[in-house]
Amino acid sequence: MPVRRPALWLLFGLLLVLALLVLGLRVGSYATSYSFILNTFWHYNPADPAQLVLMQLRLPRLLLALLAGASLAVSGYLLQTLVTNPLADPYLLGTASGASLGAIACYVLVPSLTFMGVYLPPVAALVGACTATLLVVALGTRRGKILPAPLLLAGVAVGALAAALGSLLTFLASPEGSLRSVVFWAFGSFERAGWDVLPYPAAALGISLLVLVFLQKDLNLLLLGEERAAALGLPVARRRWLLVLLAAGLTGGVVALCGPVGFVGLLVPHLTRGLLGTTGRYNLVVCAVLGGAFLLACDLLARLLYPPAGLPVGLVTALFGVPFFVYLLRKNN
Amino acid sequence: MGPPAYLCAMRVLLLLLPLALLLGCQPEAEKTGTVQVRDDLGRALKMPAHPRRVLALAPSMSEILFAVADTATIVARLPQDDYPAAVYRKPVVNNYPLDLEKLVLLKPDVVFTIEGITSVDDAKRLQDLGIPVYFQRYLRVEDVFKGIDDVGRLLGRLPQARHLTDSLRQQLRQLTISSARLNTKTPKVLAITWLDPIYSYGHNTLFTNEIRYAGGRNAITETFPQPYPALTREYVLKLNPDVLLGGSFGKLDSTFFKNYPELKRINAYKNRRVFPITGNLMERPGPRVVESVRELQGLLSQTPPTPPIPAR
Repeated sequence: MPVRRPALWLLFGLLLVLALLVLGLRVGSYATSYSFILNTFWHYNPADPAQLVLMQLRLPRLLLALLAGASLAVSGYLLQTLVTNPLADPYLLGTASGASLGAIACYVLVPSLTFMGVYLPPVAALVGACTATLLVVALGTRRGKILPAPLLLAGVAVGALAAALGSLLTFLASPEGSLRSVVFWAFGSFERAGWDVLPYPAAALGISLLVLVFLQKDLNLLLLGEERAAALGLPVARRRWLLVLLAAGLTGGVVALCGPVGFVGLLVPHLTRGLLGTTGRYNLVVCAVLGGAFLLACDLLARLLYPPAGLPVGLVTALFGVPFFVYLLRKNN
Repeated sequence: MGPPAYLCAMRVLLLLLPLALLLGCQPEAEKTGTVQVRDDLGRALKMPAHPRRVLALAPSMSEILFAVADTATIVARLPQDDYPAAVYRKPVVNNYPLDLEKLVLLKPDVVFTIEGITSVDDAKRLQDLGIPVYFQRYLRVEDVFKGIDDVGRLLGRLPQARHLTDSLRQQLRQLTISSARLNTKTPKVLAITWLDPIYSYGHNTLFTNEIRYAGGRNAITETFPQPYPALTREYVLKLNPDVLLGGSFGKLDSTFFKNYPELKRINAYKNRRVFPITGNLMERPGPRVVESVRELQGLLSQTPPTPPIPAR
């Protein structure tokens, strides 16, 4: 039996996040020392281009990576609990495929990418994500009840349909640049981060965690199966709706802003359960912190490995996440 | 009564002797009708000594063929080809994805293309089907001139090619002289090829040499593995280009700079030195390469239309 010290793991995760944030602030086109970073935080001078870059570009980017990692990890955790299937990830509800379809349609059909001053790709991605999720939930519902198995299958079907439509649009797109944008988007990136967009994922994550702190016991009951959970007094149908709503909200916002960053929502929940057990009280919080740390580390690696723009972060999560995941599987076996 | 038979035979032999000597002096390749050549990528390929059916797999290469080759020998055009107007008289063959069946049907003796436009894998498939593919590579304007000469040599049209490249070199010399007169300070120029994400002409592209002839310098001085690298906003801010090419000020102000407001700090925006470029000119290293340099020079010599925008 592994020694489970959730508070210790939480502290470790928070320290890791802090360390990665500091390291991430140092990496970029402008050379910045630790003292420069401290000085910028104390006496921020936007007239200095290096300080501007630090506060307006690097910091929001890192915070978006942190929020995206945390949101996807929590969303993955919720959906794995909901369908009691270890293969479930945040994109189970067709969110990523729907968002991708929306973004691809925007890149291919609206070359200016802007309408009345609004930058369209995140909006189109959000619309696509919501549409696909609603469709999946509608297909996975019988008499107002969400049923895990039909939900899972509906997710696969809607995902495949959205992916096929996206591929068709990509294939028919003639400008080479559009294809470039589509490919870049499909692997995920934090390059477009800014202070103006951060409040949305932050609010979605904050509210979700706040709600889930009170529902951790219910999540554990759901793992027992529908009948036993109901016998123990859990309103199963209502809880499932709530979980789907939270997971869709967390994933849709992140995918709209960063693209479909893969693997974090599958890997981190498993890692958390491996560390703290299946029913730990702090599971969701630790899962969020580790998810944030994982994407921060991947973004840092992506920027270090392939300057100036960095590798698409989705590639790094897969390249480094898969071996780690396999290691975890082998260890558990 | 005619001359004796042995005398007739000797006369015929004497007449044939120079022809025999001429044939004997010709290289082996000429005798077999093929030559072995190496393209700019160092790939060895066999092609007919006198190609009668030719094709380009890059729009700039089509322009070179139309400028140098006998146009009757050009068997097709690409969907993107739009210059010169005569190109529209040719049947279309798809290059993305490569229409192998139609290419085989067209039976070109040789196909010309440019590194990066046609994949080496596609070229190999064509060669397996008996169609030699000749790649060219350009990093300097002079490479384009050499490429034109090479095409002329391979098609037996060297005088036509030389005539063209001599004229282009002369025009380029004159442009260089006027560039030197115009600019006291060499502006840093960033040429973007795509706005979202930001892609630009890297250092290891023809643009670096073209902009130098035009009196500027490529803002990107680092060499990245990819010729057209994706850039972060931070990197663009650090470059702080004096001139930005890729769209008109009005258009980019309402799209590019609206999406990336931090970039309004670069000199190019503050001084409104943001200009569109003719895409099919800049992207096509062919006979119009000097025209492209001339366009760049014209843009660099423009004064800002209105007073500079104060820093925000």
